[in-house]
Amino acid sequence: MARTEQQSNERSKARSNRASNPSPSIPLPEGEGSVEPTFTSVNVGNARAERFSGRWFWRFASPAAFYPLAGTIEKLCWFVAIALTIIGLYIGFFRAPTDATQGEVYRVIYIHVPAAWMAMVIYLAMAFWSALGLAFGTRLSFMMSHALAPTGAMMAAISLWTGALWGRPTWGTYWVWDARLTSTLILFFLYIGYIALAAAFDDKKKGDRASALIALVGAVNVPIIYFSVQWWNTLHQGASVRPGGSSMASTMLTAMMVMTFAFWAYCVAVAMHRVRTQIIERERDAKWLAGVKQ
Amino acid sequence: MSLAVAMKAVFAREITLFARRKSDWANPLMFFLIVCSLFPFAVGSESEKLKLIGIGAVFVGALLAAMLALPRLFDEDAKDGSLEHLLTSPEPLAALILARVAAISLAIALPLALATPVFSLFYALPTDVALMLALSVLLAVPTLILVGAIASALLVSARGGAILTAVLVLPLTIPTLIFGAGAALKVLFGESPAAEIALQTAYFLFALALCPVAAAAALRISTD
Repeated sequence: MARTEQQSNERSKARSNRASNPSPSIPLPEGEGSVEPTFTSVNVGNARAERFSGRWFWRFASPAAFYPLAGTIEKLCWFVAIALTIIGLYIGFFRAPTDATQGEVYRVIYIHVPAAWMAMVIYLAMAFWSALGLAFGTRLSFMMSHALAPTGAMMAAISLWTGALWGRPTWGTYWVWDARLTSTLILFFLYIGYIALAAAFDDKKKGDRASALIALVGAVNVPIIYFSVQWWNTLHQGASVRPGGSSMASTMLTAMMVMTFAFWAYCVAVAMHRVRTQIIERERDAKWLAGVKQ
Repeated sequence: MSLAVAMKAVFAREITLFARRKSDWANPLMFFLIVCSLFPFAVGSESEKLKLIGIGAVFVGALLAAMLALPRLFDEDAKDGSLEHLLTSPEPLAALILARVAAISLAIALPLALATPVFSLFYALPTDVALMLALSVLLAVPTLILVGAIASALLVSARGGAILTAVLVLPLTIPTLIFGAGAALKVLFGESPAAEIALQTAYFLFALALCPVAAAAALRISTD
C-alpha cells in the first residue's frame, strides 16, 4: 500500500496508522521515476480505513493530494473575489442611495460588515479544523487551521478599524464599549493567542496540537464571553447606538451581500495560498514535492 | 479508594510546599498591595473618584497577582522531574491536576481574598462593598487558576511561557471580571448582587468541570 507522503522513521508507527491517508489511490506525480515509498505503512487497511477508503474526500486529507486541488481552488477564488469586489464596490459606491440619517459615511459597511462576519466565521472554521486534527491526527487539518488564523485576525482588525472610522463621524467617538465592538476585540485577542501559541513551539507537531486545543477552548468560551459582555454593556450604560436599525434599501443589501461573498472568496483564496506554502515548507523533503512544478 | 489517596497526597504535597516556602504565596500578596497603591497616584486622591475606580482596580489587581502564581502549577515540577511522576501515575491525570489546582487556589486565593477588604480601604469603599469584593475575588481567582492550568500545561516546554500565558488566560477571565466587579457595583448602588454571584459561580463551576480535563490533555500534548 503506497503512501506518497514523506515517511520518516521518526514518526511513530502508531501515529502513522491513524494518520491522514488511508486511501491507496493517490496520483503519484511522475517525476524522477523512483517514487518508491521509504516506508510502507502496515495495518492501514483496518476496518475504519477500509470503510472510508472508498470516499473521495479522505483522499484529500493527504497534503500530496490536496496540494494541486488547493491551487485550483485558490485560482478560482481569486477570480471570484476580484470580480465580486469590483461589482460590489460599484453597486455600493455608485448605485446605492445615500443614507437618510448617516449620509455618505455609512458606505463603510460594505467593508465593515463582511469583515466582522468573516472574523467570526473563520474562528469557527479554525476550531472545526482543530477538532478534526485532534480527533484524526490529520496533519492537513492543523495546516488549514494555521492558514486561517492570520486572515481571521486581520478581518477582526479590519472590522474594528473601519468601525472606529465610522464611529467618529456618526457617534462622535472612535471607540465605544459597545457589546459587539467589545466581543470583536476579544475575538481578536483569541486569534493573537492562537497565533502566538502556534509559534511558541520548536516542535511543529506539538505546536499543532497545542494551538488546536487552545482554539477549542476559545470556541467554547466565545458564546460565554459574548453574552457576558452583553450583560455588562446593559449594566453599565444604556442601550447603545445601533447602526441601521431600520430596514435597508435593497441596493444597499445587494451590495453588502456581494461584498460578503467577495470577502468569503478572498479568505478562501488566501487560506489556500497559505496552506500550499505550509505544505511546501513542511514537506520540503518529500519525494512527491520534487515532481510538482512550482 | 486509591484515587482519593493519590489526590490527597498531591494536595498535601502542594500545601506543604506552600507552608515551607512562604514567598510563593506572599509575593503575589505583595504585588497585589503595590498594584492597589499605584492607581491613586495616577488618578488623584479625591475619595469620590477613588470610590468609582476602586472596585475595578482592586479586582484587576487581584487577578494579575494570581497570574504570578501560574508558573507554580507545572513549570518547577517540569524542571526537577516530578512532573513525570504525575504523568506516569495510574490514576486519572485530570483528578491529580484538580487536586493540585485546589491546593494552589487555596494558598493563593485565600490570602488575596482576605487582603481585599483591607486594600479596599485605599479607595474609601464601604464595608459591605469591600466584603462583596472579597467574595468575588474568592470565586474569581480559582477560576483564573483553573483556566490558567490549561495554558501553563501547554506552555511547560515552550519559549516565552510567562507572557504567553497571560495573553492566553486573561481574555478568558473577562466573564468572571464582569460578574465579579458587577456584584460589588450592585452593592455599591444598593441593589441585590444575587444574579451576578449566581453567574460568577456558574462560570466557576463550568471551569471546574472542563478545565482539569483540558489541562490533562494539554499536559499530554506538551510533554509528548
